[in-house]
Amino acid sequence: MSDQTHIPTGHDLAPGEEEQHSVGERILGYVVGLVLALLLTATSFFIAGTDLVWQPSIPVALIVLAIAQMGVHLVFFLHITTGPDNTNNVLALAFGLLVVFLVVGGTVWIMSHLNGNMPPMDQIMRMRT
Amino acid sequence: MLGKLDWSAIPFDQPIPLVAGAVVLVAILAVLIWVVVKGHLPYLWDEWITSVDHKRIGVMYILLASVMLLRGGSDAIMMRIQQAVAYQSQGYLPPEHYNQIFSAHGTIMIFFVAMPFVIGLMNLVVPLQLGVRDVAFPTLNSVGFWLTATGALLVNISLVVGEFARTGWLAFPPLSGLSYSPGVGVDYYAWSLQISGVGTLVAGINLVTTVLKLRTRGMNYLRMPMFCWTTLASNLLIVSAFPILTATLAMLLLDRYLGFHFFTNEAGGNVMMFMNLIWAWGHPEVYILVLPAFGIFSEVVSTFSGKALFGYRSMVLATMAICVVSFMVWLHHFFTMGAGPDVNAIFGIASMIIAIPTGVKIYNWLFTMYGGRIRFATPMLWSVGFMVTFIIGGLTGVLVAVPPADFMLHNSMFLVAHFHNVIIGGVLFGAFAGFEYWFPKAFGFRLDERWGKAAFWFTFTGFYVTFMPLYIAGMLGMTRRLQHYDVAAWRPWMIVAAIGMAVLSIGVICQIMQLVVSIRNREALRDRTGDPWDGRSLEWATSSPPPVFNFAFHPDVRGEDAYWDMKTRAQQQSFEHDVPEYQDIEMPRNSPTGFICAFFASIMGFALIWHIWWMVILGGLGAFATFVVFAWRDHDEYVIPAEEVARIDRINLEERRSLVSMAGAV
Repeated sequence: MSDQTHIPTGHDLAPGEEEQHSVGERILGYVVGLVLALLLTATSFFIAGTDLVWQPSIPVALIVLAIAQMGVHLVFFLHITTGPDNTNNVLALAFGLLVVFLVVGGTVWIMSHLNGNMPPMDQIMRMRT
Repeated sequence: MLGKLDWSAIPFDQPIPLVAGAVVLVAILAVLIWVVVKGHLPYLWDEWITSVDHKRIGVMYILLASVMLLRGGSDAIMMRIQQAVAYQSQGYLPPEHYNQIFSAHGTIMIFFVAMPFVIGLMNLVVPLQLGVRDVAFPTLNSVGFWLTATGALLVNISLVVGEFARTGWLAFPPLSGLSYSPGVGVDYYAWSLQISGVGTLVAGINLVTTVLKLRTRGMNYLRMPMFCWTTLASNLLIVSAFPILTATLAMLLLDRYLGFHFFTNEAGGNVMMFMNLIWAWGHPEVYILVLPAFGIFSEVVSTFSGKALFGYRSMVLATMAICVVSFMVWLHHFFTMGAGPDVNAIFGIASMIIAIPTGVKIYNWLFTMYGGRIRFATPMLWSVGFMVTFIIGGLTGVLVAVPPADFMLHNSMFLVAHFHNVIIGGVLFGAFAGFEYWFPKAFGFRLDERWGKAAFWFTFTGFYVTFMPLYIAGMLGMTRRLQHYDVAAWRPWMIVAAIGMAVLSIGVICQIMQLVVSIRNREALRDRTGDPWDGRSLEWATSSPPPVFNFAFHPDVRGEDAYWDMKTRAQQQSFEHDVPEYQDIEMPRNSPTGFICAFFASIMGFALIWHIWWMVILGGLGAFATFVVFAWRDHDEYVIPAEEVARIDRINLEERRSLVSMAGAV
């Protein structure tokens, strides 16, 4: 990683993407990704409207499908791999996830405590009546 | 046709902004006429405005920051005078004007002074320290700078056309909402930050990529100079925090423009969400500013002590720890908002924890100095002044991190004194240290030491005389942002603070004098070696100012303190190099993309503020078309032939060799 004074040029490469793949293999990768993504999307729409499964599990199922969707995008389109040349990308992803987790988690926690201590105006009005 | 804009937008009844605006306008016109008459326009356009050279862009960032420092400083002087005279009287500034001034002061000092100053220094120095020829995305770099300039321009236009926000530098709703701020002030604030925020974000992406992807041979992570590490940490924070600011301001703008209810009092809006989100950006922001300053001090202390930085690895660890923990403390800005004891306790503890890596850094600098042969040149004076001042600011910071104490001190002058203590004592002293330290590298001559030292002592003393009284006034119960007051006990401290402001201003004048005197004596102060301070990192290995390609060869790094290493090896072995094989160098072509993009962004921003919709579309289309034209370019690089590289490099080597042999003869 430290000797990157000259990055091989020629055709556009995503950072960390290996060069040796042939065009066919690369197209295949994108097609597999596209099919998986479409499948997951279709399943989400199907689950949302169905009564085949236990109703309260639907939100959980949607979350799981959404996370799987993110995984598909990361692997097939953004080319996150576990290869040694991909360390930067994986670290960046981890840092991004950490920040999102801290900010979103912290916000939910803070705001729920705030609302507990100082209910919004309409709730106070309802408490009075 | 012109939306909300008409003649009533220009405040004919308020002489202060009108006169100030007129003076600035005359000055700008005079400079423009001078440039055109003297025929400097082509030079300015070819060498600076369209330049994609990271050094030139860095210099322009710092120039922008310096000009805006004068503007923000004038606001500060006006506020100090107002509070000194407004005891049991209205003073000389009416409330709505006073409120605009403190809002503009905060906004300008953070977004258009501190940010461009540190980004400018990072731009100027980091590629040189890494031993590479440019940043990762040179044209994007230029776009980033010009968008920042657009933001600054809009803030300054608000002085004479319309008004600026009266809401404080973070524009909290519901005050900043449409019902309480129906004017264009908040729109000026929000759009200038949105546009310059894009600029900051691309600068951040650029510098992260540069540090991660472009390093010279052998420059692995643990051999990078400390300033590169802090640049990496700071820009990681920019990339992850600035989108929060953009999203928050976007929601505020939706409330104001399209009748949404994110942060309104009615219809399910939640004003507290704004505080939460803006501080989730705001706290990382202070570390975005201060981390590069820490890097500058590391470089300066190590160079002027003649020693390698003590505890390099602990310094790296401390930097990255701050980078992560800075995202876990934002609630300490609103302990009093009512989240309750559990939440307050956790965030209070996290805020105290973040003082630990900072303490590690202070000890590392002290131990670097210990046993070193210290030279008290101006950059070193700023660094030592920083250590003393920043410790006081850090300690008062830990004090307000204790929630019960914060309930007493929240929104008081004590808090004002605290954050000026860390931002002036940390960021501004760091920026000045870096300015003095790297000026010879950027321009090829040193700055006058006598004026520099005078500037330091006046600024240092002036800072204490101004802000220590504010701590006391805060303890006496004075709240911030008071346009007038009736408490006799506060009065003396306000007068002392105003006197301190005068001393600080003398410091600023000294700094301007230093620049004038140094430019006049530039032949005597010329730096021929490229290494005026006996430096340790790679930026000193090339000439001052560096050639456009920085290095004729990519330096080969074999350890920490790369250039120091080379110098020692050169002394041990013979000084003669084998004759090197020069090669052609490809450099990116200059591009007006950044300037034209920013031109259209300025039009769009101004039109959005005044609701001139056809002009918004025009500006947006123009900026997009500029981008498309750039994307369809054919040639973006030109070749500097090997002979030219050889010629430039030989001149540099000759200079160095003759100086070395002269030193040997003496």
